[in-house]
Amino acid sequence: MNPATAILFTGGVLGAGVYIVSVLDRLLAGTAAGNREGTAALLLDPFRSVALLMSQRRTVTERPDREAWALAPALLAGLAAVAFTAIPLTPGLAIADVPVGIVLFGAALVQVMVAVFLHGWSSNSIFPLIGGYRFAALALSVGIPFSLVLITTAIPAESLSVGVIISSQAELWNVLRQPLGLPIYLLTALGFAFWGPFQHPDAADLAGGSQTETSGTALLAWRTARAALLVSAAAMGSAAFLGGPLGPWLPGWAWSILKTVALLAVMIWFGHRTARPRMENVVKFGWLVLLPLALVDVFVSGALTL
Amino acid sequence: MSLEALLVVAAAIFGVGIYGALSQQSFVMIMMGLELMLNATILAVAAFWWGSTGGNPEGQLLVIVVMTAMAIEAAIGFALVANVYRARKADITEKLKRLRN
Amino acid sequence: MSGGWPTDVLFWAFSAMAVISAILVFVTDSMVRAAYWLMASFVAVGAILVTLNAQFLGLILILMMAGEMTIMAIFMVMFMMNPAGLNPMLMVHQHRTAILSGVGSFLALATVGLFAEFPDRPAAIVGPAIVPLGQELLGTSMLVFESAGVALLAVMIGAIALVSHRGRYGDAEQGSEEPPLEVETSQ
Repeated sequence: MNPATAILFTGGVLGAGVYIVSVLDRLLAGTAAGNREGTAALLLDPFRSVALLMSQRRTVTERPDREAWALAPALLAGLAAVAFTAIPLTPGLAIADVPVGIVLFGAALVQVMVAVFLHGWSSNSIFPLIGGYRFAALALSVGIPFSLVLITTAIPAESLSVGVIISSQAELWNVLRQPLGLPIYLLTALGFAFWGPFQHPDAADLAGGSQTETSGTALLAWRTARAALLVSAAAMGSAAFLGGPLGPWLPGWAWSILKTVALLAVMIWFGHRTARPRMENVVKFGWLVLLPLALVDVFVSGALTL
Repeated sequence: MSLEALLVVAAAIFGVGIYGALSQQSFVMIMMGLELMLNATILAVAAFWWGSTGGNPEGQLLVIVVMTAMAIEAAIGFALVANVYRARKADITEKLKRLRN
Repeated sequence: MSGGWPTDVLFWAFSAMAVISAILVFVTDSMVRAAYWLMASFVAVGAILVTLNAQFLGLILILMMAGEMTIMAIFMVMFMMNPAGLNPMLMVHQHRTAILSGVGSFLALATVGLFAEFPDRPAAIVGPAIVPLGQELLGTSMLVFESAGVALLAVMIGAIALVSHRGRYGDAEQGSEEPPLEVETSQ
């Protein structure tokens, strides 16, 4: 695939994904609160938000780190796109189906720490800075179980390539072969996208956390990038645990999209149905519950493969 | 791209690391100098693996050992710096004229 | 992998990025920027490793460094608390000696690199380099790999023992931490 097509393809698919995320978010927030909105309002709402943010005036703080502040949303969006390139939507249609694709995905996702910490730090304001600190604690707590359950899917495939991991699930999907994998993956992926119960870096108790001082197009870019990150994580979840493009009757890309949207719906629904715990409880939960469970997943999968 | 070019780049990074480790006062900045030197080491070892050992996997193993050394340096470094800060409220080397409290 | 001129262009671009961002670490006036310039240097070296066909090592280097550099930035902010972030912060000693040592070691090492006779056996790798590496790690060199793992475990225990605050009655967060002996007054 030539570079221009690759960029357009990634941007287009992720853009569509972000639109689906915002519609789902609005829809599931409405059902959680018990009020139903019309279909037209639901479908048009993302465009209204975009128009509102585009016409909003940018606020500036005193002596910010301007370059880093401008860089952070772009970096987050770029990392979501790089993570997405490792995932083949149909066999052979991955922009970077490298032999170590799953490590490429992990490397891109870990760098999200840099983007969020820079975003919190650069506006030179206290609540955003606390948001940045919180993300470092959150990402370190959920990051290790995340990478453990993801790398476990490479054990039955005997390869780090995402394409081979998908084709190894032809007989049995990893969601059944490694039952602990998908739930831990979805929880920790919510943490990496700081969404739902793990929204601490941008939470309401910090008046918006790392985005408190951000407004206008920069805020639009930040929120879009964050939703794109959720889309990339869901796409990887569908490829690593649900067999990605594998499935009867429909073509491969349709299965990929269906599974990704289903995982997005589950994650966003869960986010609207759970409360945000205190930060230290999240850290404890990550290290004392998720990490041992992820290790059990690794050991059991390894023993079954032997 | 050749082995010589890779080694010169590694030497440049190593020189910057030496400068940082010797000149900085802040503990964390000194650690950054050390990390740069290890970064140069990783590059040089990978260069030898690529250009001089015929792609022998043991060369890559050496890179992994250097990375382990880097992780150990960081973990122990941060632990010591945190302890020194608690005991002395010191974040630069000049505040530590003696190690006895 | 000698992929002709695109590989060369990439190599020189990443080399320039690695060296320039390494210098910027000690020139910039913001501690967070210093930490992330250091990370940019590591990312560039990781990218060079990828062009050398050591994809796994290059990506692992990039993966490792993100967390470490964020922790470094947080430590810098906690210790120095220079919140505006772009204040002048040239904090050096023995500056001239340090510059001379840096330049000297660069010249010495570069001379060795340029003029020493190294065996010229370039890697002829068919397929991904990750397969022989994996067989090496968990085959003949397993002892080295395991030793690295045990060393990391020992370091983790040691580092936690060094920093953990545990009071007489349990975890620090349960209020068991003994009060400080002297109350610091703000001037």
